[in-house]
Amino acid sequence: MSRPSLTDMRDEANAWVARMDQGNWSPTDEARLQDWLAVDPSRHGALLQAQAMWTMLRPTAEPPARHNDVPDLGAPNTDGIRSRRLPSRRAVIAGGGTALAASLVGGTVLLRPRTVLRTDLGEIRHVPLDDGSIASLNTGSEVDVMFRRNRRDIRLTQGEAWFQVAKNRARPFLVESGPIRVLAVGTAFSVRRREAGADVVVTEGVVEIWSEDVSAKRTRLVEGQSVFMADTAQVHDIAVATTSSDHTLAWRSGRIELVDEPLADAISEFNRYNRRRLVLLDPQIAGKRLDGFFRTDDIDGFARAVNASFDVPVDFSRADEIRIGQIKPIT
Amino acid sequence: MNDGGLSSSALLTRQRRAAWVAENIMPYEPRIRAWLRRWQVSPEDSDELLQDAYCRIALLESVDHIDRPVAYFFSIVRNLLARRHRRQRIVSLELIAEVDAFQDSPALGLEDQMSDRLIYEKIIALIDALPNRCREIVRLRKLEDWPQKRIAAHLQISEKTVEAQIRIGLRAIREAWDKRDAETWSRSDDRHQAGAKVR
Repeated sequence: MSRPSLTDMRDEANAWVARMDQGNWSPTDEARLQDWLAVDPSRHGALLQAQAMWTMLRPTAEPPARHNDVPDLGAPNTDGIRSRRLPSRRAVIAGGGTALAASLVGGTVLLRPRTVLRTDLGEIRHVPLDDGSIASLNTGSEVDVMFRRNRRDIRLTQGEAWFQVAKNRARPFLVESGPIRVLAVGTAFSVRRREAGADVVVTEGVVEIWSEDVSAKRTRLVEGQSVFMADTAQVHDIAVATTSSDHTLAWRSGRIELVDEPLADAISEFNRYNRRRLVLLDPQIAGKRLDGFFRTDDIDGFARAVNASFDVPVDFSRADEIRIGQIKPIT
Repeated sequence: MNDGGLSSSALLTRQRRAAWVAENIMPYEPRIRAWLRRWQVSPEDSDELLQDAYCRIALLESVDHIDRPVAYFFSIVRNLLARRHRRQRIVSLELIAEVDAFQDSPALGLEDQMSDRLIYEKIIALIDALPNRCREIVRLRKLEDWPQKRIAAHLQISEKTVEAQIRIGLRAIREAWDKRDAETWSRSDDRHQAGAKVR
């Protein structure tokens, strides 16, 4: 894009905002605006910027309404979806029934021998499966693969795995993680076992998700959506997030990508991959937010970056751990 | 508003998105510009990057899931910058990673709430700097909340003229807004950096 056209675009956006401000916006105006926007998608950005500036020039205005009560055509994912706040949901304690569900599955007669895939600490494996699907296992994970004539069952017993599922309507692809079930036909998604539930991120297509502990009622997740589902979660009780899955799945290329991550969470992320542990001594900085990307084994680099950006001491002297921060004397 | 038809629903949706940006992102834009400047991004390139980032926001189905709008916006800007660097092969990926990640720790600066008072003063200053006639029209429209029609009748000019003056006013204000960053914000940013270390 050449610079003069950026200036023109900005000013055309100003003109649209002035026009909209007039208060008698007609369907014809809307159609013209849509034509203008269609020429170059970046015009959406120019328009939003101009309109936001114009809106901001109103210091006495009431705070704008947060919820959009106008049904937005073609926006299927907004209804009833709350923003995801993982920490509180992670705290949910799993009820009974997990062991029972697991043992029933374990007792099923298998037509094919079961294959167990494992990764060690820090190891990441990409494994092609018999049916043409691919399983990528993150650090410290274990997956049982049980393929049968009319179904493909996968059990994630620990850790995290991403699946690129070969399409086959006649053989549904079902991933179990505790009582959580994720069903796909042809799609790509990841499941991460947590203490009392599972994270599911859909990168392609559609999956259905439910918990055997609670009910067989299912929720659909589409591409770009993610969810933490507690083992005990009612389907109507789960919070779906529409976020970019790129950074949460950076592990597939051996990287950790932090987007606005609290320091404590970033540290436990690194500790998933490395024998040498990161230890946070000063709980007061646990909530500081970080951005950046690293190799999963670059804990030194990460610790140095924390040192540089928050100006906290980092102690590299021990072989088995790196200590971040110091316990402040009580004053 | 209007007739409740599709056109007004699209209009309302856009206005809400703009209001969300005006409240949650735009006041912090100068800090993001200051950050870009420290990475030697030219003002013209910053304009482009920011516009691209706003485009991402404009095209989102919903913004309800975004808990921390500025941080979200900033991460878009940073990703766009990193992508541009990669494309231009200016620096190696590792260098970007270092650069990108922590040295500036801009999230720190973005965390601070801007006071309503400060934003108010900035806005009044922007309006005050407009040429006479334009300033009067923008004041009546934004500070007195008069509709364009009433302004036209009051000043005995056509509604088209009012609309044109608003366009001119908006252009001038946006230019001033983009420019004033360069002067005022680098200073407050330095102070902020110092403050972060004391904590």
